[in-house]
Amino acid sequence: MANEPTRPSTPDGTAEQQRSILTTRRALRGVAAFAAGAPFTAVVAAVEVAVATAALGVPRSTAPVAVGLVAFAVYAADHVADAEGDAASTPSRARIALRYGDQLMTAAAVSYGVAVALAVRAGPAALALVCVPGAVWIGYASDWLPTLGDVLAPPGEVSVPRLKDVFLLNSAAVALAWAVAVVAAPLAFGGVAVDAVGAPTVALLFAYVAVRSFVDVEVPNVRDVAADAARDVATLPVVYGVGRTRRVLLGVDALAAGLLAALAGTGTASRPALVALAAGLAVSVAVTALADRLDGATLGVAPDCSYLVAGTVLLALGW
Amino acid sequence: MAALAPLSVALLVAVTIGLAAAILAWRERPEPGATWLAVLLAGQVWWATFLVFELEAATLPAKALWYDVQWVGVVAIPVGWLFFALSYTGYHRYVTRFSVALVSVIPVATVAVAAAGDPGDLLAVDRVVRETAVGTFLDIAPGPLYYVIAGYTYLLGAVGSVPLLQLIRDDARPFRGQSAALLIGTAAPWAGSVAYLTGAIPVPGLDPTPIVFAVSGVTYLFALSRFRLLTLAPAPRRRARQLVFEQLHDPVFVVGAEDLLVDLNESASETFGIDRRAAIGERAGAIVPRYDAVRELDGERGSPRPMSIVGRDGQRPYEVTIRDVVDDHDRTTAKVIAFHDVGAYLGQQQRLNVLNRVFRHDVRTETNLILGYAERLRADATDERALAIIEESAGRMLELSERTRTAGELFDPTEEAKSGALPDVVDEVVADARDLDPDARIETGRVPDVTVSSVLRVVLENLCSNAVRHNDTETSWVRIDAAVADGWVEVTVADDGPGIDPAEYDVLDRGTETPLRHGSGIGLWIVKWGVDHLGGRISFAEREPRGTTVTVSVPIDESVTGKPSSDEGR
Repeated sequence: MANEPTRPSTPDGTAEQQRSILTTRRALRGVAAFAAGAPFTAVVAAVEVAVATAALGVPRSTAPVAVGLVAFAVYAADHVADAEGDAASTPSRARIALRYGDQLMTAAAVSYGVAVALAVRAGPAALALVCVPGAVWIGYASDWLPTLGDVLAPPGEVSVPRLKDVFLLNSAAVALAWAVAVVAAPLAFGGVAVDAVGAPTVALLFAYVAVRSFVDVEVPNVRDVAADAARDVATLPVVYGVGRTRRVLLGVDALAAGLLAALAGTGTASRPALVALAAGLAVSVAVTALADRLDGATLGVAPDCSYLVAGTVLLALGW
Repeated sequence: MAALAPLSVALLVAVTIGLAAAILAWRERPEPGATWLAVLLAGQVWWATFLVFELEAATLPAKALWYDVQWVGVVAIPVGWLFFALSYTGYHRYVTRFSVALVSVIPVATVAVAAAGDPGDLLAVDRVVRETAVGTFLDIAPGPLYYVIAGYTYLLGAVGSVPLLQLIRDDARPFRGQSAALLIGTAAPWAGSVAYLTGAIPVPGLDPTPIVFAVSGVTYLFALSRFRLLTLAPAPRRRARQLVFEQLHDPVFVVGAEDLLVDLNESASETFGIDRRAAIGERAGAIVPRYDAVRELDGERGSPRPMSIVGRDGQRPYEVTIRDVVDDHDRTTAKVIAFHDVGAYLGQQQRLNVLNRVFRHDVRTETNLILGYAERLRADATDERALAIIEESAGRMLELSERTRTAGELFDPTEEAKSGALPDVVDEVVADARDLDPDARIETGRVPDVTVSSVLRVVLENLCSNAVRHNDTETSWVRIDAAVADGWVEVTVADDGPGIDPAEYDVLDRGTETPLRHGSGIGLWIVKWGVDHLGGRISFAEREPRGTTVTVSVPIDESVTGKPSSDEGR
């Protein structure tokens, strides 16, 4: 708002009031942009783990909190690391990441520290689990892999890209990392073995979360198509166009529906959780169908809102 | 899950803070020390994490397993600390793959022994579970390797603290703060370790070291945020100071109290052609140019005066400054001798003085002469002598003007340096001299085919024209000879004229003119400036029975590549 017109000050203080309102609005927009970033993702991750906890029928634990904190840490760090590149697609969030980069990184580091402390309290399996998203992020977004590639092979001969820059593998890596965290966290933090729940149930829920997460990652790419193309980041919309991407993602949603049906067929998953997951899937299908008609800000949060719907349904059903 | 032991809660706090600090440190890569600080903090987090597992484990084997896993973190801490301290304070050259591998030998061996199940009870001769009021510990009776790694840890810790302790006394407040925070952060776990090893902890089996990591984490976090630990590291200062010394344009020598050469910079090595490795440790008198004269300057402590020194670029005048290196107890431990090339400055000063004299004295004299004889012409328009004197005087002024222009062009910094073959230069000079006096006998000896600066042409041209112009014999005689030795070319111009007044040499030698003592004209000055410009030397000698021999020695121009610069002496 650098070009915002300044009015002359009047004795009744009109200009000051106007400025104050504008400042407040700007501050609110900033808070909203921040909240729609890493904190929103953290809440969604926590709800996902809570729904998975219900679906698996394992005791409640600190898993949702720990995974939420890890999600906040990883996404906040990612937003800070890629702030300049995100300036075109998510300008408000990028502005906050650039301006408060140090504070965000401190918050992210402390979040991850608390998550690891919670995991240490829960035992070795939980500790190993919370290390997965951090390790994946290092390979996914940092320059650690390219640097390692340069060390192992002479520069120029073989160049190892960031995982974030590899077509489909980027979305698949994120989807798998979150599927591991969401499904394994309730088991690890609850101290429950896979056999106690039933391996087919765990596998089907894992597959369901993985394919759903894949859709959640690719749908916002419809919004980022111009910025990603400019940075040579290959995503489904960049490579196949928006129309074909929508059809592919609807197909993936259909696969998720099939996995949900199979999960229900095992008979071990709790019924309220299945209903909640089905409600979430319905929202996801609707968002995917409207992918090219929703505005950028909505598209950024809409896919993840399906989990909030699922969580609300779960609470409504008395979990 | 059962309620945690109070100690586990403290350790979880240490894990949280330590991991946060480790992530923030890792983020600051490649700032000096960032990676190693992250290693240090990761080691602390590792140790604290698996100590929680050990505390929470119910059986002796389970506790023993987590105890052994802790060794990875335990041994990473001193290695991380040492290399962090070295990198952070600017001692990068000690952080090499070899040094890291060497320092890591004992830590890696310790982890290997722990991983192998402690064969031969090297780490612990006995392990028992102790129930105490603050938790259930694995109490161990240390084995020999335990004491080795403990001592090694203390050694690395002490070595790493030395450069940080130096920073405590630093002038810059941020570095003092950083250093203090780091030392507190490291001293706290050490204090815990010492208390454990000396049996000062009342709870048997309780090693408080990892618990105190919470203190370390807080101080490191404080140092990272408040004192900008890694974003404002002192490491570049050390390198920058070294660079200033190394890259300084002036040659600099450092001579120790025993007159032995301690150091010299690249400029000294290049300018005076000194092999740096061989020179350090030698007696200063054998290495430092004109060291005896330099020592006299040091004794006098007077205003510096220029002294001529022959270096790689020929003979140049240098002004020498000497500074004492004083230690913390005000004792002089060395002297820094800096040579500042004042050739350009002196040359400029001389030219201004001479041109000033030319205008004040020579031009004025000639003008007065012209005005006087012009008056006589007014009285008697047929006075041929007056007319001839006016013409001669005007001619001298024209010549003076031409030579002044030559002097200006000779030292024009915008002019590109030119060079040519010496035989061509000599031929041109001889041709010019014959134009002046077609009857003159001008001989040339053997002239080697070397490349010389075009400035030498101006020098020789002035010498030859002087020899021809001022010759009082019927047929003037001039001979030019040249020889090459050790990268220098020596050109001799001999004549049978009346000789040069010694007062002229004296003025040239002193380099300055006074109203009473000055040269005549500007020709000899152009010769001197040209020779100085080339870093050469000039000498005058009387010939028998009459005449003068002027010898000019200048370095061969080696800037021209692809052409042999000499056919002799190489």
